[in-house]
Amino acid sequence: MKCRKIKFIIDSDMENVPLVGMVVNKLSSLIPLTNIETYQIELCTVEAVTNCIKHAYGGRSGNEIEIIFSISPERIIIEVYDTGKLMEKDFLSRKDLSTPKIDPHDLSTISEGGMGLEIIKKIMDEVKYQRVKEKNCLIMIKELTKEKINDSGKSQLLTNRPKGGKDGT
Amino acid sequence: MELKDRKEGQVLIVKPMGKRLDASVALGFKEKMTKFIKEGNELIVLDLSEVDFMDSSGLGAIISSLKALGGKGELAISGIQEIVLQLFRLTRMDQIFRIFKDEKDAVSALSK
Repeated sequence: MKCRKIKFIIDSDMENVPLVGMVVNKLSSLIPLTNIETYQIELCTVEAVTNCIKHAYGGRSGNEIEIIFSISPERIIIEVYDTGKLMEKDFLSRKDLSTPKIDPHDLSTISEGGMGLEIIKKIMDEVKYQRVKEKNCLIMIKELTKEKINDSGKSQLLTNRPKGGKDGT
Repeated sequence: MELKDRKEGQVLIVKPMGKRLDASVALGFKEKMTKFIKEGNELIVLDLSEVDFMDSSGLGAIISSLKALGGKGELAISGIQEIVLQLFRLTRMDQIFRIFKDEKDAVSALSK
């Protein structure tokens, strides 16, 4: 299967976020991913779009968010474009889930927000943020392994296990 | 998002009836949970059996509810689907919330 690509545009309204998630979920079924892997792809896309609405557009509707979803047996690439406020320089590289320590007995160590980018970085193999033709673009890449032949001889596609020791099966 | 609630002894059981707990419904969910807590409910079981998609905003709303308890009582999770549990593991919230297989186990544990 060659690379297939679709571009869609939504208005920057939270009500539209589930629509993006559902579309990406369906598109991911073009290749044989597990339910958890499909969820992770949907989750990262939803997080990226939500961040655009909250941070790039300050929660205001009436602005465009463009999503380009590319899928092939080798990788999935999701590009999310906005024309709002630029992300702070180096913000992406500073985000790291492994850094903050959580103390179950101290609620102040638990954050209720700002987890989106950390989740994306944890799941995706590559995450880039750049300016493209006067737009801000978050690019997320999930690499997929080559076809493996299982015991029954049936061709089966397996993705890389998610980083950080998650089981992902 | 509709939340069904009922009391079993001192434990309030709250069940979100929507399939998605995401940014589009997180605020409404948080407001309803805060109302339950302000009404004096300190032992709460959140039954997530109907939820098959959750993002960080949905999870953040659950964390806000925990913080609204102010260290009193407990907010426990039950009936969580394996897919949604991944988000708890990824963000290490499985270390913060007690997670039970079903509502019965959760109510039993919180009632002790």
